[in-house]
Amino acid sequence: MAIQYLICLNKQGIVRLARFFQPFLGDSKDGHATIAQIYKLVSSRDLKHQSNFVEFSESTKLIYKRYAGLYFVMGVDLRDEELIYLSHIHLFVEVLDAFFGNVCELDIVFNFYKAYMILDEMIIGGELQEASKDVLLERLTYLDRLS
Amino acid sequence: MGSLKTFIKEVRSAKTLAEEKSIITKESAKIRTKLKDDHLSLEKRRKNIQKLLYLYILGEKTHFAQVECINLISSDDFQNKRLGYLAAVLLLDEQQEILTLLTNLLNNDLNHPNSYIVSMALSALGSLTSPELARDLYPDVEQIINRSTEPLLVKKALQCAARLVTRDAALLEIFYPYCKKVLDNHRLCTHGVLLGVLKLCQSIIEARNLYEFDNYLEILASLIDSMPEFFSLLQNLNSAVFNQEFDVNGTSDPFLQVELLRTLRMLFACAPEKTMQYVDKFGDLLTQLASIGDGSKNSAHAVAYECVRTIFELQLDQSLRVLGVNILGNFLSGKDSNTKYVALNTLSRVVPQEPRAVKKHRKFITKCLLDTDASIKVRSVELIFAILDETNVQELTNELISFLEISTEDDKDVVNYVVEHIMVVLESERYGEERWRLDMAIKVLELVGEYASYEKVNEVMIMINNARSIELKASLVLKILSTTIDAPADSKVSVENSGWKLVAIWCLGEYADLILGSSGLTEVKLTAWLANMNRMCYDEPRVTSFILSAALKLSCKIQSKSQIEDLRLLIAGHSKDTNLLLQTKSTQYGILFNQPTKSKKAILDAMPFFAKNVVEETASSAETRQPVKSPQAAKETNLLLDLFDTDPVPAAIPGGLGGQKPPLNSNGQKAAPHVPTDHEHVLQAADKIYDCNNLSVYGKVVFCAHQKAVIELNIQSKQKKIINLHTMAAVAKLQQLSMGTLSSGVIDPSGIAKQQLELTGSGKLKLRVKLSYTVDGAEVSEQFDHRFAESL
Repeated sequence: MAIQYLICLNKQGIVRLARFFQPFLGDSKDGHATIAQIYKLVSSRDLKHQSNFVEFSESTKLIYKRYAGLYFVMGVDLRDEELIYLSHIHLFVEVLDAFFGNVCELDIVFNFYKAYMILDEMIIGGELQEASKDVLLERLTYLDRLS
Repeated sequence: MGSLKTFIKEVRSAKTLAEEKSIITKESAKIRTKLKDDHLSLEKRRKNIQKLLYLYILGEKTHFAQVECINLISSDDFQNKRLGYLAAVLLLDEQQEILTLLTNLLNNDLNHPNSYIVSMALSALGSLTSPELARDLYPDVEQIINRSTEPLLVKKALQCAARLVTRDAALLEIFYPYCKKVLDNHRLCTHGVLLGVLKLCQSIIEARNLYEFDNYLEILASLIDSMPEFFSLLQNLNSAVFNQEFDVNGTSDPFLQVELLRTLRMLFACAPEKTMQYVDKFGDLLTQLASIGDGSKNSAHAVAYECVRTIFELQLDQSLRVLGVNILGNFLSGKDSNTKYVALNTLSRVVPQEPRAVKKHRKFITKCLLDTDASIKVRSVELIFAILDETNVQELTNELISFLEISTEDDKDVVNYVVEHIMVVLESERYGEERWRLDMAIKVLELVGEYASYEKVNEVMIMINNARSIELKASLVLKILSTTIDAPADSKVSVENSGWKLVAIWCLGEYADLILGSSGLTEVKLTAWLANMNRMCYDEPRVTSFILSAALKLSCKIQSKSQIEDLRLLIAGHSKDTNLLLQTKSTQYGILFNQPTKSKKAILDAMPFFAKNVVEETASSAETRQPVKSPQAAKETNLLLDLFDTDPVPAAIPGGLGGQKPPLNSNGQKAAPHVPTDHEHVLQAADKIYDCNNLSVYGKVVFCAHQKAVIELNIQSKQKKIINLHTMAAVAKLQQLSMGTLSSGVIDPSGIAKQQLELTGSGKLKLRVKLSYTVDGAEVSEQFDHRFAESL
């Protein structure tokens, strides 16, 4: 249950966002080694003809989707429902898009802390807390003005 | 020291990896020094932490700033606090002890008059929930749920509460009343708050086994009371009154629908009796949900899929299960790989529950074999074998074979799986007549024999060997050999297909007499082919080993003197093989080759029918009328494997222990067993070198010269019968040992078993011998050392 991590990578495998909702289990303490493996796995898959799901480890499968040059990857439990998490990713991207206004990779690079803010309003402790784009955007616009 | 933006630009402008690395290292060092400076202004500190977070994203080490982010949180300035919390959730995790420093800060912020600060504290607590924090801070979370009128805070507080319960199950007693309380407060119930309520319910149900007090049933009952509310929520989401705000591609808030379904499913599963009254209602609702949705969008699929999962996890009644299978069937028929993937996954889980309904969709399942996604292929193959039965075996086998025909190098794993499983099917008499099964097995081998394991190749040989009619055998062998020998250019057999090679060579050896002369397969052709194979496969010991046996067998099936001579040369050619086993085989076969034709024929006749060892039906099992196991399930004696096995225990281990099995299992010995006739007489002039209760061992140096010695051991039993005798021996370091065959693994009372040892090297003749055997049902192991007078 719950999202274990959400990672956003570009086509070259450079991390743009990484958020771990659970500490790593077992010996794989190193988040970035894991990300490198994830990149290797996800980038080797066919965009059009393969599913957006791939088993990653004994406890985790990846739900991912590529939007333009960016991969959004979620690690979830093997028993979790895949399709709805794909909707999670899509919702996150839609909110990013609406918030930045036609979002591109550079928006996320230079405003990573804002992207994290969006993520934190949408997901808490690995669970979706708000599914309404309107509610999210209203809140985010307000939070954005506070700085 | 520039701003964050300048830093990011600098990193991006780096032309090489090394340059980038050096910019990052420099900046990292700078940040480190700066943060150590106690007089640094908060403004500057914030800037540094911002850069540090960018370093975090880049994968750099950031642990040195963990305390620093806690300092920022303690600041009264909103901006500092916000960055501090962001840094905390990124750099810390819930296993770190440093979290105790957060307890007071979170406690203050959770009670802060500014709701933005409360919200940040909740987010942080939701991410960093250690059991200690859970116990210390739950009253603050409870108070927010209880008092706050802001949905934004309540939804976060509920999610936090759900997390707290997972960390400390005792807390579920505190939080459970709020599920109902919040639901009853309709003004508060936004979709976000509902998601929070559902998460809390799920946590409470999941924590039930960890909860130590005995009022859990009451708690559960209170959750069950909310079920009608969940039903109506689910119904409203799917009613005509459509809330545009939550529309996701035509499905009304799929996220909430999925959570509702999941929560209901958990409630039904953990309290089947108490929820009985709702089962019918739930069934109706699921039927309704599953049939809505235009079925082409991911969000609609997500809801339908969750319905299907619910149906099967709760094992709802049959009509619903059929509905579930049909929804999955629809998923399969579409073009979307994602739905295919989940459908195949789920179908393979539900085959045992609803086999008939799943079988109806076999067309779409086999179509998935042609998918480009390997994981879909694997799953469809698994599913095909799961639904395979007598009625569809032909259709499915044909589909699998057409898949094998087009399979490529990338499909290796799938092909492996198919080969391993289809052979089991084809072996079984249940699945159609012999000729068809054999044809298919040979076809599979022809297509992808390189992927078949040796055991499977072996089984094909056994199948051919056991074929009932001689005509069938002849036609199979003819087919195999004419594809291989006559038209190698047209055949699809790849050069690496060693499985096919083995079978072809074996067939040639066993059944050359059946096909000689037909289709132009002359003696010359067969011999030449074998010789050619011998040249081509010099680096494949297993194939060579088969070639040697085939050559020997072929030699008594043909007439032409010159071809027989060719075969003899072929065998003799390996007498100096670097592979010791092939060398041994070649030598032994060389001896056999020169035997008179009559005795040779008797030894080299085609293999007999392999009776599969069906466990004999004993009187007791007959009484209880247990169904007899089908033959293919019974363990087989793999005689062929024994005969052709090229990797038995090595005959010689330099300076170590040399082991030798009794002749029944040894290499090539079955065709020419060496039966000792002088059982009763111990070798003359042998010394008694060991004596114990069960046996005596006599030893004699038969030959000793030119750095080579032959020692013969005679093991004589005393009063008891010895079985399972094994001998092992070790020699001095400068010598090498090669053990001959133990004449018999069984010694009758006062009988004798013989063992020859060959030593090469130099030094004194010393021997350490280990004997293991069974006497009176007890396993005994003895060991002794002996030094002979002679030396090398």
